Amino acid sequence: MQKCISNIIKRDGKAEVYNEEKIQSAIFKAAKSVGGIDVERAKHLASLVRSYILENGIGNLVTSENNIEYYQVAIEDVQDSVEKVLIENQHAKTAKAYILYRKQRSDIRDASGALMKLMKELTFSDSRNCEIKRENANIDGNSTMGTMLKYGSEIAKDFNKKFLIRPEHVQAYEAGIIHIHDMEFYALTLNCMQIDVGKLLNAGFNTGHGALRSPSSIGAAATLVCIIIQSNQNEMFGGQSVPTLDFSLAPYVARSYIKNILLYLEANIGDDALVDEVKLALKEYNKTHTHLINDKAKTYILSLLQEKVAKYGYTIDVEQALKFAYTRTDKDTYQAMEALVHNLCTLNSRAGSQVPFSSLNTGMDTSEEGRMVTKNLFLATEAGLGNGETPIFPISIFSMKKGVNRKGDPNYDLFRLACRCSAKRLFPNFNNLDTTFNAPYYKEGRPETICAVMGCRTRVLGNDYDPERSITPGRGNLSFTTVNLPYLALLAKTEHNNLQGDELLKAFMEVVDHYISLVFDQLLDRFEIQAKRKAKNYPFLMGQGIHLDSEKLHPEDDIREVIKHGTLSIGFIGLAECLVALFGKHHGEEKALNEIGVSIIKHFYDRCKEQTKKTGLNFSLIASPAEGCSGRLLRITRDKFGVIKGVTDRDYFTNSFHVPVFYPIRAWDKIQIESQYHKYCLAGAISYIEVAEDLSANIDAFETIVSAMADSNMGYFSINHPVDRDPVCGYVGIIGDTCPRCGRHDGEGLPLSVLKKVKGYSPDPKYARVHVNLQEEMDTLPNK
Amino acid sequence: MQEQVTTEERIGEGVSFSRIRRITGYLVGDMDRWNDAKRAEEADRVKHFTDKECSCRH
Repeated sequence: MQKCISNIIKRDGKAEVYNEEKIQSAIFKAAKSVGGIDVERAKHLASLVRSYILENGIGNLVTSENNIEYYQVAIEDVQDSVEKVLIENQHAKTAKAYILYRKQRSDIRDASGALMKLMKELTFSDSRNCEIKRENANIDGNSTMGTMLKYGSEIAKDFNKKFLIRPEHVQAYEAGIIHIHDMEFYALTLNCMQIDVGKLLNAGFNTGHGALRSPSSIGAAATLVCIIIQSNQNEMFGGQSVPTLDFSLAPYVARSYIKNILLYLEANIGDDALVDEVKLALKEYNKTHTHLINDKAKTYILSLLQEKVAKYGYTIDVEQALKFAYTRTDKDTYQAMEALVHNLCTLNSRAGSQVPFSSLNTGMDTSEEGRMVTKNLFLATEAGLGNGETPIFPISIFSMKKGVNRKGDPNYDLFRLACRCSAKRLFPNFNNLDTTFNAPYYKEGRPETICAVMGCRTRVLGNDYDPERSITPGRGNLSFTTVNLPYLALLAKTEHNNLQGDELLKAFMEVVDHYISLVFDQLLDRFEIQAKRKAKNYPFLMGQGIHLDSEKLHPEDDIREVIKHGTLSIGFIGLAECLVALFGKHHGEEKALNEIGVSIIKHFYDRCKEQTKKTGLNFSLIASPAEGCSGRLLRITRDKFGVIKGVTDRDYFTNSFHVPVFYPIRAWDKIQIESQYHKYCLAGAISYIEVAEDLSANIDAFETIVSAMADSNMGYFSINHPVDRDPVCGYVGIIGDTCPRCGRHDGEGLPLSVLKKVKGYSPDPKYARVHVNLQEEMDTLPNK
Repeated sequence: MQEQVTTEERIGEGVSFSRIRRITGYLVGDMDRWNDAKRAEEADRVKHFTDKECSCRH
């Protein structure tokens, strides 16, 4: 009886006609890669493979005809047989090459299989059921472009891990020891930017799709600010912040003031020649006087108006013209700020998947124009969006400074307004310029030395690369990587299970030190990749001179020198869980543990200083925002070390140095504990106090808490309180189980006749259309 | 005798309250977009007492 192989069964289960030349070719390729040249020997070996399969009963008998048995064999079995035959016939080198080739093919198959599985998940699952689509809450994972962005980012991450990032760094990332943030953008761009919008508005700019002139009103200026933020956001992966919006927009309030004086003349005199003459004179004066709503300018403008009006033979009350212009300009500024808030909360960026991550810092400008900007920004924020919703963006930040806006100071009224607005709308957050780490940089009359923040917390100010340029505008963070403290604590504890107390801490710090060095190397690697990008890759950020010193760059230049102004940041997560892992309690529970906590974080700070000195680059410590990684790092740590009480028994790690959110503590104590960390986290930190009550009726209490934080050397902070809204009746405030206004339960429908009787009923039109006809069940209606 | 059936339009069936919370320095309007970890964290948050002693010390 003769035996032969008729078919090969492929991985997908399909049968293919057996072709010995394919085996021959595979063997020859493997041999060739190690220097072989003998085709005939490959042919002979392929025939030996066939014999090996048939003699060892590896295939399955399919049929027999005319005394011939036909077998079919699985591809994996053929490949195993090739390996065996090669080894048995003393072709060890070729066998090795063949095995490697086989593994590579299988890796590629696995990778593309995993990738396709991921694409399927991204395409067909709702973000509600798909964690990966909810990594960042400000991206709508269900939107067309949100999904498209996810495809790109997942593939980019995979590519970067395989080809760009050093294997030991990938390993630390995969193991959950570190988290490399925004890894999908590794090869492409920088994190975030503090934009000097004043500079762009003054000179005019080009978005790459057209040139824009310097605006001549506050309304136009506010619109251009949105365009600037949107344009720059598309070239970076992080947020965009305006460091001193009040100073930057004040000149355009003055320009609106001119317009409104002219408007008054037009309406009350209507003589074009007169209006033109006044216009010319005011514009000329404005060239040397950017601010016009003050006593000095008033004297000039009044005498100018008197002179011109008399010249043309009219009599009007010129004081009245300025009163009109002031009131009208204030209204224009409100409208401009309203448009700014509405636009920044609604316009799409990054191909429509999200609104720009925008931040606006205000509060320091004491000029009337600047104050008008700050005041109206808060009034517009307080009023809310179209249906009274709380604006999610822009993130508003009030810069606090003694002598400017604390009790008894010229802008104290704006600070009070900021408190009132924040008590209702959660924004503004508060940034404290009086801290030991902000105050030394501030120089009066130089707004660029004001410490501003990116709303999430990121801070730039000190500049060790160029100390003369220790300023905020034109700079940002380049990238950051977070260290998983609970993981390292558990690792130290597992490896040194005989140690306790100081000795355990010492062992832990050795592990920490190792990973700080690793992160520094990784940040430098990433810097090298970023540094080789060219100015032309960033037509707005570099092309329009937004980045500090970028106006010196030619489009073909690499961006190395200018991005040295940026920060390379190392971050951390879960100090609380780390302390529990090492000592059984966290820093909110015991004072001594807080001291240890501070010493751990100070060590990170010291290492950053040392690394800065060594490299001349701005290494700094960030209390990581860690939105996306708080769950990922927890899950990996739990998988490795198991569920450990107080360490891995919740579904998240506590943010940075925060006292755990579930731990009951007095506000004052929380402030005292957390304030000690802010001075070390110079790349940014934020602290929160959670209050239960609605403080909008008690601004004094709100101010007390904010002041307590400021006076404790905290840098950046805010008060959290519930802001709920019933879209059906329009109520904004705290809602428990039922809406205090209409009595509706969550998800419940109310008859229109009942709703119409509700005082203050202002329905969101979106929900006014949700009409459901149901049999009326009178007895389930609330007694209202 | 035919039973009297009153039907009236009902508004808001299936409409949830919106609950705005701060996440990492910024606000999120729709908690549907929060990831599982951050939702769990939000659910765990407790209020901090701002008692008299706190005010007195300031």
